[in-house]
Amino acid sequence: MEPALSAGDWILVSGLSRPPRAGEIVLVRDPREPERLMLKRVAAVAGGACTVLGDSPEESTDSRTFGPVPFANVLGRALFRYAPVGRIGWLW
Amino acid sequence: MFLTRLLEPTVTASAHCDLPCGVYDPEQARIEAESCYKIIEKYNASSDEQFKTRAIVIKEERAELAKHHIDVLWSDYFKPEHVQKYPEITELCWKAAKQCSKVKGSLDLGEAKTLLDMIDKIADVWTKAGGPQATRVQKAVAARA
Repeated sequence: MEPALSAGDWILVSGLSRPPRAGEIVLVRDPREPERLMLKRVAAVAGGACTVLGDSPEESTDSRTFGPVPFANVLGRALFRYAPVGRIGWLW
Repeated sequence: MFLTRLLEPTVTASAHCDLPCGVYDPEQARIEAESCYKIIEKYNASSDEQFKTRAIVIKEERAELAKHHIDVLWSDYFKPEHVQKYPEITELCWKAAKQCSKVKGSLDLGEAKTLLDMIDKIADVWTKAGGPQATRVQKAVAARA
């Protein structure tokens, strides 16, 4: 998810109050390994599921590998990065 | 300090190319451990000081690699259900990783042999847990013949 997110960023994630929209960064369960959580960007929303893609397509494991993620596996939306200090800011 | 700890996230999510390839085999650790074993043999048989120095450096590198591979098995391959079924695996991996450190700092062939035996015990559990079928890509029969 470079350059939007970097390893070690501290992120505030809120639960979904409405379905995710394209362009937002969401916290999803890896459908292949449910205990694994991932942050990916929503590329498209259709029929109760969203297609998520990483920002670095050549390095990302995303919906191209595991298909669309049902809303039930979308745990929340990334709102705000509160650390590191130099990169504090909203994520939408 | 306290504030940092308070603000520290409690959940970790990956956002990059952390791809679980799913290939795990204790053989990877064993080959590195075998290198250590053979290097110690060659060290003891040699009287060339330069060779002996190189042997030590390379053995330390290999021991570190063996430790890495054991750590990957332990942290990535073995799942809670494996631990439930084969509770000995925790101690086996932990002791084998420690043995790697011992081999790293030792020129005792016995220590290297102990490490090989420990890795074989991990491999036994890996085999019982269905590791060969679950984690390896099968070779073509022709390639094995």
